[in-house]
Amino acid sequence: MERASSRLKVLALLVVLMFVALSTRLWFLQVLATTQFQREARDNSVRFAYSEPLRGKIYDDRGRPLVENRESLEVRVNRDAMGSDAEAVVLRLAKLLRVPVRVLVERLQTNQYYSYQPIPVAEFVSPHVRDYIGEYQELFPGVEVVPTSVRQYPQGRLAAHILGYVGLIYANEYEKLKSKGYEQTDVIGRTGVEQVYEQYLRGTQGVQKFIVNSNGDTIRALGVRDPTAGDDLHLTIDLRMQRDAERQLADGLARIRGTPTSDRSALLKANAGTVIVMDAQTGAIKAMASSPSYDPRWLVTGLTKAQRTYLYKNPAAPAIDRAIQLPYVPGSTFKPITGLAALKEGFATMGGYYPCDATYTHPGDTSGTVFHNWTTANLGSMSLSNAIRISCDTVFDKFGSDFYFNYVQNQLNDTSLLLQNDLHQFGFGEPTGIDLPSEASGLVPDPAWAAQAKMADGTKLFPDGFVPGIDILTMIGSSYVNATPLQMAQAYGAIANGGHLCRPHVVDQIEAPDGSIVKQPEDRCGRTIPYSAAQLAYIRSALGSVVTSGTASCTFAGFPTSQVWVGGKTGTAERPPYQDTSWFVGMAGKSVNAPKYIVLAMVEQGGFGATGAAPIVRHVIEDLYHLPETHTGGCGGGDL
Amino acid sequence: MDMVAGRVWADERKPVRHIDWVLLLFVAVLTVVGLILLHSISATSPDEAAFWLVRVLKQGATAGVGLLIVVLIASFDYRFFKVYAGFIYLAAIAALILVKIPGIGATDPSGVAQRWFSIAGIQITPSEITKLCVIVMLAAVLSEIRTPEPTLGDLIRVVAIAAVPLVLVFIQPDIGTSIVLTAVVVGMLIVAGTRLRHLVVLTVAGLVMIGLAFQLHVIQDFQVQRLTAFLDRANAPEDARYNLDQSLVAVGSGGLFGRGYLQGSQTNLDYVPRQHTDFIFTAAGEQFGFVGAMFILLLYALILWRAIRIAALSKDPFGTLMAAGIASMFAIQMFVNIGMVLGIMPITGIPLPFLSYGGSSILVSFAAIGMLESIHMRRFT
Repeated sequence: MERASSRLKVLALLVVLMFVALSTRLWFLQVLATTQFQREARDNSVRFAYSEPLRGKIYDDRGRPLVENRESLEVRVNRDAMGSDAEAVVLRLAKLLRVPVRVLVERLQTNQYYSYQPIPVAEFVSPHVRDYIGEYQELFPGVEVVPTSVRQYPQGRLAAHILGYVGLIYANEYEKLKSKGYEQTDVIGRTGVEQVYEQYLRGTQGVQKFIVNSNGDTIRALGVRDPTAGDDLHLTIDLRMQRDAERQLADGLARIRGTPTSDRSALLKANAGTVIVMDAQTGAIKAMASSPSYDPRWLVTGLTKAQRTYLYKNPAAPAIDRAIQLPYVPGSTFKPITGLAALKEGFATMGGYYPCDATYTHPGDTSGTVFHNWTTANLGSMSLSNAIRISCDTVFDKFGSDFYFNYVQNQLNDTSLLLQNDLHQFGFGEPTGIDLPSEASGLVPDPAWAAQAKMADGTKLFPDGFVPGIDILTMIGSSYVNATPLQMAQAYGAIANGGHLCRPHVVDQIEAPDGSIVKQPEDRCGRTIPYSAAQLAYIRSALGSVVTSGTASCTFAGFPTSQVWVGGKTGTAERPPYQDTSWFVGMAGKSVNAPKYIVLAMVEQGGFGATGAAPIVRHVIEDLYHLPETHTGGCGGGDL
Repeated sequence: MDMVAGRVWADERKPVRHIDWVLLLFVAVLTVVGLILLHSISATSPDEAAFWLVRVLKQGATAGVGLLIVVLIASFDYRFFKVYAGFIYLAAIAALILVKIPGIGATDPSGVAQRWFSIAGIQITPSEITKLCVIVMLAAVLSEIRTPEPTLGDLIRVVAIAAVPLVLVFIQPDIGTSIVLTAVVVGMLIVAGTRLRHLVVLTVAGLVMIGLAFQLHVIQDFQVQRLTAFLDRANAPEDARYNLDQSLVAVGSGGLFGRGYLQGSQTNLDYVPRQHTDFIFTAAGEQFGFVGAMFILLLYALILWRAIRIAALSKDPFGTLMAAGIASMFAIQMFVNIGMVLGIMPITGIPLPFLSYGGSSILVSFAAIGMLESIHMRRFT
């Protein structure tokens, strides 16, 4: 090993030769030949080909399809690429597609999209159209025909408000969503579950990456990611119940329109209404109808001017879901709830009797305000149950006074707003949290609200602040308090199921295309209301008596209550300058102790609850239990 | 006085006082450069956007573990390796055999090669570790030769010892590691003082063997095509030609000063396959140009200089031979890998030490540094 160091020099020499070789080569590549390689690098280019995922499907509670996809040949127009002779292109296209030029122009004249966003103008065109446009592309600059998949509604316009619809992403949405991988040609869910569950329904886009040379020839396909279809929604909606609810609502509205108002001065308009069928034990919405409605198929290709006017510029506002998006004064349907509050606070007892006089005046009130019952007769003393059965206002007026005195006496105390707190516990004054968009909160009038409430002319509604009348009117569900029909259904659900305030929902579970469950059904009944089982049972019996011998007894005459127990409350809410809002919130089931469904009907400008909404509820319950449908009618007004 | 002087003497010879900090510094700089390149490859690639952090962090963590391995191995006296050389060698051979047994060794995604164990989600590649085991074994055998230069008998014994793991690696098939092992054997034989005549005979024998391997189709066709792609680009298989073309375009377009960090279109758009592993040098060539590429070559040159210097400083033939073997290993890996990227060497799966992404490669490189440090630290004792 003496010669180790000289041998190491040999090794070092070899290493040096390696470095010389590499450095020389680097010099050649990076200095001498770099221009050629730089040109090659520039000519290298990547193209991406995207493939759209199929949007998730929507099923009812038994797996019957509500929304599917259908292959379509779609005509898209890129307005930026139409060139100088856009008018001629539109004319030619209209002729080819056999649609009026006006319709095409309406679809293209929109500022909701970028001018370079290809706008879909026609679906399901024939291959002939595609071939023609392809062949004479120079006559159709900016026009392309692409295979795509569009929403299909096997049940037609059924459940339109719940399902929502999809539409081309708007320019302002695109700005917000492009970081999430949205493209200008993507559709996006609008309203309904299509909007709320967009992230599930959407799926993942497929991408194929190509390397192309300067001629555009594909040199090599690089990565491929296949598109993944969106997740499927399984709704709580029962297709049959939904169809029945919509039919009964439509029939009911038509029937009411022929009847006179309470003062017989005019015919009822019954312009809009809603029906809700909810599982009282879980909060699952089995059916939810809102009228007027619309056809989601219109939105597949974008709206024509007439459709847009109908949907968005129409006093009837068909786009609005009456069940959740508008609050209404609940009228007497509020009494079971405020009655419970009075029981809880000790202003009423289950054994007590309360005067049902023709009028009520708040003790010590000097303003001369008098609250009238619905009848001028003095009905004597009655139990809380009877006051609900015949819907006596003055009994409840007194409870309102009691709540107000409590407030006055405890103004510095947080718990002084007993009535308001009790109503909030029932879910009023806040959205229920249903998985549908734009839900209204409703209003529980309290001193803070009274301090800032203004009339239409801007003057203060309550110059004296929080006055007793607010509590008194709230007790009978009148004037200022308001709630969405869904909030009413939720509150009645809690009365029905023994005190659980179940969050209403329309999606039961979400399933991935591979069959795995993405989102399990969850228990939404964690909130409870602080009432004893006896108190709730007492109110349920009172609701039963409404149907058998109370305000709705005429409407439910002949109903087989021995087979199906039904309870409920009528409501007739004044809503000047409009005609009265007609309400009936019912519950049905095997017995008074186990109501299964909450069935609610509300009709705008529908007159009395007993004659307007209640028959709709009766018919829906008959459909639910496959009972023979009876002809209702001939029940007079006067009942509230 | 004597006592005091003696203590000073002993103190000065404490191994820990003689760490080769310069070597460690160069290795650290190279590792950081590797992380920077890895980031540029992964962060800009549309496909790999989700993985860039994972890769950089994983590689960084591996380097951290590598540093611990350096400390661990350096704290052992390298002469222990000589005592256990036989065991180390046999263990490596056992691992190479085990990895071929279906169910024990894992197959790569292409289904062709069976090269590693998968233990608790960590890939362990025995052929990487084999390189160090062979170095230790050969150093032990060659250092025991008492004649001024190895006799033909010694030579045959050494070649036989090296041939067993070499063949096992070769049939995996892992041609890259076979090349590295061959170079290590040659390098160590040179340093051991083998006669030129014997080396020539050995080379001729090796070439004949390789010729036979081709003839008997021990090397599969696709491997031959990849190996020869750099010689005949026009007739090379599409896959190999594409890889080489894109590699050359990436490096060549870098020019003198490069296109700037994260500005390289070849790197950003993911044109170069396997860029984060075998072709990582292209990222340096494109983004930092000739200057950057030369800087990396310089770092390797400095590391090799320190390694050969350690071989020369060692008072012990075993240390000298081990250091020389490690130097040969780094040199051939660097040369074949960068040569492949530049189109002057065949396309083989040899990782670039300290730069290529991959756990086993990084850890084995650091272990080798640990061995060099151990030799350097104990050069006086």
